[in-house]
This record gives sequence, C-alpha cells and structure tokens, in this order.
Amino acid sequence: MVDTTMEKNPRIGVFICHCGTNIAGSVDVKGLVEYAKTLPNVAFATDYQYVCSTPGQKIITDAISEHKLTGTVVAACSPRLHEPTFRTATKEGGLNPFRFEMANIREQNSWVHMHDREAATEKAKDAVRMAVAKASLLQDLEVKTVPVEKAALIVGAGVAGMQAALDLGNAGIKTYLVEKNPTIGGRMSQLDKTFPTLDCSQCILTPKMVDVYRNPNIELMTYSEVEAVEGYIGNFDVTIRKKARGVISMEEAEAKGIKGGGCNGCGDCEPVCPVIKPNPFEMGMKPRKAIYIYHPQVVPLLYTVDFDSCIKCGLCVEACGEKKAIDLEMMDEFVKLKIGTVIIATGYELFPVEKKTEWGYKQFDNVVTSLEFERLICASGPTGGNVIRPSDGQKPKKIGFVLCAGSRDNTGVGKPYCSRFCCMYSLKHAHQIIEKIPGATPYLFYMDIRSFGKMYEEFYYRIQDEGAKFIRGRVSNILEDPATKNLHVYTEDTLLGRPVDVELDMVVLAAAVQPMEGADTVRKLFGVSCSQDGWMLEAHPKLNPCGTTTAGVYLAGVCQGPKDIPDAVAQAEGAASVASIPLHRGFVELEPYFAQCIEEKCAGCGMCVNLCPYQALSLVEKEGRRLMQVTEAKCKGCGTCGGFCPGGAIWMQHFATPQIVAQIDAFLLGGEQ
Amino acid sequence: MAKAKGYSDPKMEEKLRDRYYYRTDSNPEFSKRIRDISQTVSHMCYQCGTCTGSCPSAPRSSYRIRLFMRRNVMGLEDEALTDPDLWLCTTCYSCTDRCPRDIAPTDVIMAMRNLAAERDIIPVNFLKTVQAIYTTGHGVPNNDVNRAARQRLGLEREPPTVHKYKQYLPGIQKILDHYGLKARADKIVAEAEKHA
Amino acid sequence: MREYAFFLGCIAPNRYPGCESAAIRTSRKLGIELLPLEGASCCPAPGAFGSIDLKIWYAMAARNLVLAEKMKKDIALLCNGCYKSIWDVNHKLKHNDELRDGVNEVLKEIDMEFKGTIDVWHLIELYYDPKIVGVDKVRDSVVHPLTRTRIGVHYGCHLVKPKKEHHFGDSENPMWIEELVGALGAEPIQYRKKMQCCGAGGGVRGYDIAHSLDITNEKMINLHEAKADAVTEVCPFCQLQFDRGQIEIKEKFGKYWGLPVLHYSELLGLAQGMSPAELGLDLHAVDCTPFLKKIL
Repeated sequence: MVDTTMEKNPRIGVFICHCGTNIAGSVDVKGLVEYAKTLPNVAFATDYQYVCSTPGQKIITDAISEHKLTGTVVAACSPRLHEPTFRTATKEGGLNPFRFEMANIREQNSWVHMHDREAATEKAKDAVRMAVAKASLLQDLEVKTVPVEKAALIVGAGVAGMQAALDLGNAGIKTYLVEKNPTIGGRMSQLDKTFPTLDCSQCILTPKMVDVYRNPNIELMTYSEVEAVEGYIGNFDVTIRKKARGVISMEEAEAKGIKGGGCNGCGDCEPVCPVIKPNPFEMGMKPRKAIYIYHPQVVPLLYTVDFDSCIKCGLCVEACGEKKAIDLEMMDEFVKLKIGTVIIATGYELFPVEKKTEWGYKQFDNVVTSLEFERLICASGPTGGNVIRPSDGQKPKKIGFVLCAGSRDNTGVGKPYCSRFCCMYSLKHAHQIIEKIPGATPYLFYMDIRSFGKMYEEFYYRIQDEGAKFIRGRVSNILEDPATKNLHVYTEDTLLGRPVDVELDMVVLAAAVQPMEGADTVRKLFGVSCSQDGWMLEAHPKLNPCGTTTAGVYLAGVCQGPKDIPDAVAQAEGAASVASIPLHRGFVELEPYFAQCIEEKCAGCGMCVNLCPYQALSLVEKEGRRLMQVTEAKCKGCGTCGGFCPGGAIWMQHFATPQIVAQIDAFLLGGEQ
Repeated sequence: MAKAKGYSDPKMEEKLRDRYYYRTDSNPEFSKRIRDISQTVSHMCYQCGTCTGSCPSAPRSSYRIRLFMRRNVMGLEDEALTDPDLWLCTTCYSCTDRCPRDIAPTDVIMAMRNLAAERDIIPVNFLKTVQAIYTTGHGVPNNDVNRAARQRLGLEREPPTVHKYKQYLPGIQKILDHYGLKARADKIVAEAEKHA
Repeated sequence: MREYAFFLGCIAPNRYPGCESAAIRTSRKLGIELLPLEGASCCPAPGAFGSIDLKIWYAMAARNLVLAEKMKKDIALLCNGCYKSIWDVNHKLKHNDELRDGVNEVLKEIDMEFKGTIDVWHLIELYYDPKIVGVDKVRDSVVHPLTRTRIGVHYGCHLVKPKKEHHFGDSENPMWIEELVGALGAEPIQYRKKMQCCGAGGGVRGYDIAHSLDITNEKMINLHEAKADAVTEVCPFCQLQFDRGQIEIKEKFGKYWGLPVLHYSELLGLAQGMSPAELGLDLHAVDCTPFLKKIL
C-alpha cells in the first residue's frame, strides 16, 4: 500500500561544498549560503571546503540532530560520485537516507561556466532552491533486497572470457561460457608468439583452454549465441541459441543411448566431405571442409557442420559409422538459463583495411594484414611457418610493416583511436622475420612507437638492436610493380625530411581494430551503452572500468576498448571479481524508485501494463476490483507508466509528482511563493 | 635573446646566427588566418609525413608540404611566406586525399600563397595570367594561328565566350578592379621586369 | 536530347579547338546537346589565379556560374582545371552563406546574383553515368573501333581529387575512364603512378618549367615502359603539358618520347568516324600519325 503523505513541517539543512576551488573558484559559495538561508523550510545552511571528507560528513550528521532537520541538501558534485556518501551521512544523523537531495553545482555548473562567476552563482542558486523544494517533500523509503541466482554468464570465450570463467569457476560459481565459434580460444589462439616475452601463444593458451574444459563449474556452450535477455541483476533470464552444429558429443550420444557413440574427433568424416571452403581461423588462407574443426587443438574437440555450404550428400555420416555422431537434420536449440551476473567479452576484429585504398590491400597480392601474417609465420599455419609471398611463394627478404593502418584516422574511413597493440606486435613481427629468414630486413613505418607496458620499451630497444629499420613516416601509398609484384612504399622520412620510395617484397598492414561483428547485438541485449568510438562503455573510465551502467553486467577484454593480452586478462580478472560480489553476497539491494499503484485512484484500465518496457506491471483482482500491481524487482523507475496514467494513479517513489512539481515551481517562480 | 651578435663580418654573423626557436618568432594570428582562408582544420597536423610522401614535387625539390604545415602550426609566418618552395605545389590534392587528420594541406598552401600575395610576393607568371584575363577575359587567349585553325574545323574564329561577346568584358574588369588586382599586377610585373 | 551550357575554358578553344568541335559533335551522338555559354571567361585558373586571392577566384567563377543559371542549364565542361574552379566554387557557395554573401556583394556591381540553382558536370562523368549516357551507349556509338591500340589513361587531379567532393568514389586507382576507353575498342593499359599529376598545375608550369617538365617526364617514362601507343586525358591543360611538354622536354633535357596525346573527346571522335583533320590533330605538337596508322 503506497504512502503518499509528506512532511508537514519540513526543516531542511543545506550544505554547500567548495570542492577546493573546483566550485568556489567560479561560484560565490558564501553568497550561496546566505541565499539558502532565505529559502522556505531551510532551518540551517553552511559551507565547507570538502563536504565529502570525514569532518564534512560530520557537519551533516551533527546538524541533523542539532537543528532537528527532516531532510538534507548537499550542493556539490554529481550524485554519481557522492550520493552514497551523503545518504550514509544523513542516515547516521538519524534520518532515512532517502531524505537527502543533491544539487549538482560542479559538473553542470562551475566546470562549464568557469569564466562567468556571476551567472554561475545565479545558476547555483536555482539548483539549490529546486533541491530544497524537493527535499522538503521527500519521504522515508526502504531499500529492497532480492536474492541472487548463484550463476554467471560469460559471452565470448577468448582469453578474457576464459580467464573470467576460470576465476569464477574456481571461486565455486556455476559459470556458463558462451562462444559463437565452434571452439574457445579467440584471437589469441590465432597468434604465433606474444610480445614482449615471445612465448608461443598457443603453448600458453591451450593449457587454459583445457582448464576451462575440465573445470566442473564451467559449462561450455560453444557454437552458441545469446538470443534474448530478460530480468535484472541477480535474476537474469537468458535464452541461448545453440546453433545446429550437426554433430553430437559423446556425452550427448550417451544420453541418447548410443553406446560408445558421439564425436571423438577422429576426423574420419573430413576427408570424405566434397565441399571446400576457406578456413576463417587461417584468415581464409587454408581450406576446410563443410564438416570441420578450426585447428587440431580445438576445445571441445568436436566437429561442426557448416550447414550454409553442406550439400547433405551423407558421405560423412557413412564415414562416421556406428558412432552416429553426425545428424544432418539437426536444428537450432534454445536453452534458458537463470543468471545472477554477466560478463561480456566479445573481443575484436580487424577493420576492413581495404577501405584505405591507398595501401592496396586486396589489390596487391603481397600486401597482407597483421593477422594474416600471424598465420603465415605460425608453425601450425597454412605454410607451416614458412613466411612466403602470396604472389609467388618466394621468401621475402625485405618486409614493410605499416603501423597505424587505419588507426588514428579522422577521415571517417578509418578509426580515430589508437589500436594500442599494433606497435608492439609489429616489433614482434620484425623480430620474427629476422629470426626466421636469414638476411631479412624489416622496415617499420611508424608515427610513434607506443611501447608503454612492462618490458615493452626494452623490447623496442632489442628489436632496433637486432637490425630492424625504423622510418618515421606514415605510409602515403603503396604501388605494385606489375612485373615483379614487389611493392613500392611511399612516405616521408620525416626525421630526414626526405620523401622515401622503398621497394619491398611484402608489406604487412597493422590494421586498426574494431568491435567484433555481432557485438553490438549482444551489447543491446544487455542494455549496455557504447562510447563514441563504438566500443562498449564502462561505468567509469577510471574508477569502474569493468562495470557498465546496467547493474550486474560487466566488461572484460577488447570489447571495452583495444587492449593487449596482459591488459585483457587483468580486466577479465577484475570483471570476474566484481561479478562475483553479488553472487557471494547472495542478495542485491535495489534502489526503491519503484512505481506504486494508488489503489483508490486506479481504474484498472491496464493501459500502463503494455507501456512498461520491463514487463513490471500486471493487472490483478483485488477485493472485486481490477488493479494494477508492480513487480518491484523488475521496475526500473523509468516513469513511463507514471507519466501516462490518465487517472494519476501511479506514484513514482522518490520522483513523485508533487516532488517534481515543487522543483519546477521553485525554478519557474524564482523562489516566489 | 640577443639575436644579432654584433660581429663585424656580415658573413660570419650569418654563419653563426642564432637558430633557436623563440616564442616571439610565432605569430598566432598567422595560423588563425590560414585556418579562415583555407577552411580546413590546419592546426590539427600531427606531422606524419603522409603529405610529403604523396607529393609529386617533393622528390625533385626541397619543397616539403609537411614543413609548411609545421610552420603554420608554429606561426612561422615570415619563414613560410618568403620560402620560394611555396610556389612548387601543383595543387594535385594527393596529400588532401590521404591526410589522416582530414586536413586539406593543399588549401593551406593556397591560403599561404594568398597571404604572401598580400605582401606582393607573387611570381610574375601568376600575375601575367591576371593581366591576360583582364585584357581578354581568358588566361590563355585566342591568337591568329588558332583562329585559322578554328575556321578550318568549321568553328567560328572567336569562341562564343567573352572573346566573341566582348560586351561581357567590362563586367569581368569591374570584378577585378573591385579588388584592385589589375593595378597591383601591373605594378609588381613592372617592378620585376625592371629588375630583370 | 539533354541540354547543357558548355563551358569552354581557355585552352580547348584557344589552343586545341579540335577538342571543342569533337566534344560538341560526339556528345550530340550520345544525346547531349552542348549549348554555347555566351560571355564565359577563364574559369579562372584555380592554381594561377586562386593562389593570388581565393576571394576573387570565387567571384570570377561565380560570374560564369550565373551566366548558366540565367540559361537555366547545368554546366558541362571538358577541362579538369575548369572543373576545379566551376564545380568547387558552385559547391562552396551553395554550402557557405558567408562566402556567398561576400561574392554576391561584388556581383551586385555588375547586376548579377549567384543563386545556386544549377549543377556542374565534367563531360566524362556524363558519358560514364548510366543514367545520362553510360558505357554501353558510348560503345554503341562507335563506328570505327580503335582496335590494336594500347592507351594509357591520365585522369588528372582535379577530376577525382579531393575524392569526397566528387561524384565517382576512389581516387587511388579509379578504372572508370578505362571502361570508357575500352568501349572505343582500344586496350586501356595500366602504368606506374597512373594517378600522378601532369606537372602543370598550381602555376608550377609558369613558375618553374624544368620542375614541371620533370614531373611530366616521369609520366612519359612510365607510359613508355607500359608500351602505350597514346595517352588520353580529359583536361586540355594536361594535354598541353603532355603534348607541348614533350617538345619542351626534348629542348631542355634532350629526350624525345613522341607519345601522341589525345583528349578523350578526340578519341571518341575518331571512334565515331571523325577524320583526324576534322579533329585538328595536326595542331598537336607531338605527331599523332604513328597512332593513327594503327587504327586507319
């Protein structure tokens, strides 16, 4: 039953923060205090250097009892920063914490009107007056707690998703790891070596892949995608689409009663398949069949049928024989999961660098991308680790590396941001060709070498010492000699101040990175925002880098912005840690900003029910009447229903009509009664 | 900050001249005017060298478009406007097409040339085009050999431009006179020819 | 018949009149009537003139645009330099009120006003655009295919650069004029640094002729290496630089290439059956006979 009564004789305390000179530098704080004292219902007003400090909070607590306050107003920074602080102080003073109202006079005032003290002060007065008007009408509210499902979902099983899954699994949490590809491992499994340590990427990654597979708390769902998401922190209802892979595992076979059946990865099916397609894991440089695995170390070791190209000839089914692992009539399945918290780790792909036509990718045979180069130099790659020129299979002796290939580009074609790991992997590539091809010379065309990580600058030193040539100039264009298929790379050696025409055997473009295809769909399903560069938006760039604005949804790895492996893993561990907090705690507190039905006024028309974007409203029979009822845990307090209800029968807690009207009046009437 | 060292031998003075860059060397107004005239974000150059690498004039001369972009950012007005290389840009716009910062360096050069012209630094050939347009309406006017050729091809001896319709010439001259361009051109050309 | 105001510029009518007559006669066969733009002047030369004062360049080009606005016809032209001036100024004045007001202030003195009511096209764009002419129609108009000839295409700068301001996408390795050359029965060839400037623009030809010719010479070296029988372009100024430039290169550097230079309109004229004399090919500085022998 909703309580719409409000304080009869409000006594409000106003606390104005200097924030050092952040506010006091452009707002007349003393004048503001004097002004506040003149406002109706204000029983006490004061200012302090830093109201958020311990002594600052004590001023609030003390004033509440001393002046018998019924509500508090702090005029300071954004509520996103210190609302919890001041609520706590209000509570410690003996008031309900929701009797507190904050006026933002920093982000929305002093910082933007730095050079107009007079107007900034006037605006601050408006903000304080409005806050006082609302605070006078605030009610006691109780925080709602809801139980949390002790299960986590991780979307994307690259190195970040795997690390997060391992951390959560090892902490005893049931973890679903969903991966759209047939195998886990992600981008890292495509890399040959990693900088600056030159570890073999697969050698350090495959043990983790095996761990993920073996961990009893991790449920792997490969070749699967998130289909639908409902619910809220602690209680997400997630539907997973298990794409038809045409092959059943040994466990699935056993469940079906096929003794000793199911796919054991023997590979008998593959040679008989007549369909040949490019293998995306090898960047299309190696063929695969319509029934395939990406590479020998896939996890799970389970073949997949590409139904887009399968001609259903049935040869594979024959070859599989008694194992009966192949089902060419398999359909997609949907699995519903109950999830407490979610980590998104959808990773990246390369920017389509052929759009920068001046570099000739997809026009000239011997211009390749960095990921193609990773496969070419990888011992398990399409050439067995022999770097060759695509045009003639010859060993290149002079190889160019074009850095910032599409990064730091404001033309609208490329990406404005720095892709952050290209400098370092290009140094690594340079090292690798020096090591693998006797007499080879790498030429690195760069604007800046950004070697910011631990042992990175030392790595740069080492590669320079090994004989790599560094030319400080962004590549203007690349032309192919039609006879030799050699490439002429044009730029300026900006340090010599001379234009340069270097003839090279092969050129590797360190292409910019962009969010993975499909990441946007996942992002929207979980209600996560994206920053203007297209990557997913963290809750705070410095102080909440793993969180999002959706409670219970966290980010790990490159989906939040370009990161190298150490950073991706570090963020994954961070995300696993924050994602586990509500799971271990067992409950979450919800801000009580729920819609409530004023039953006397509700006509039971039900129009609000369909308007609610969160399915939080329903119609119920009560004492012979039809009434609207709110499922509080689902309600986000958006106000859609409250604004619409023709009978004014919906009460938005903490944002109730009288409270908002009071604020508007206070603003428009300029303090006149 | 003493820039002149007071050596008696001017050659020695020049050889050992102070080559520091001083803040006073910079004229911020220069960069602003360049930006206004060129209508491009000329101050956003990060000196990557894409422009020079694209430039057909760079490999055969000391002309470096990147250097002019730098002079613009640093406000080195005199150095930019008095450098004879300023006039070696063929305005091919290759740098503009490729600039990752989406600047039009070609238009920066054009703006610099406009500012040099304000100081009467303009190569004579540019002004002769102006004179020709003032007198005939065309930068490359008709001549008798061509008139004969036109006739042979079945064309009128004068093309149907201001060449044939001479009543349009005063309008053209009025526009040029509005800016006093013809008078300036005559003066600078005469002076240059006197020196030559 | 689509009608356009034909902006002639300077070099076509006053140095290579064959381009002018070829353009008029060949376009007519493709459904384009080129009407005289009476009283037009120099565009004025974007490099030589714009370098002095862009404001005056805007005003002078605007005067030419107003002449066509009065005819209520879009402008068609056959020179990249003119395209730079007329297209660019039209575009800038249409989108920048401040510039337009400044220009109209001056035009008022001669009772003119730029209104921004027309568009500007290079003839070669009209030929390529399937909505106007299109490659097929060009091919259909051919009566005398230029078979067995290898032709290098020089796009010139101001037709395709800067790319975002123009009608056909990429400026790094465009192939659309090659399609139009192929439609004439000739073999369009690729050569090194196809997109390099002819060397004449920006006033450089007048300012430092040796520098300018050295750029031209590089083009000649690359075309020669690719065994071109001729080079075609869509800009009489590039034509002048290549054609007379070869004589100047011989005088200055002692090397003679003898590579025939033909404007696309002239090539189209030959393919549509016009005679070399009708096209005034004898007015070219470089003898076109070796090329003509291949096709006649």
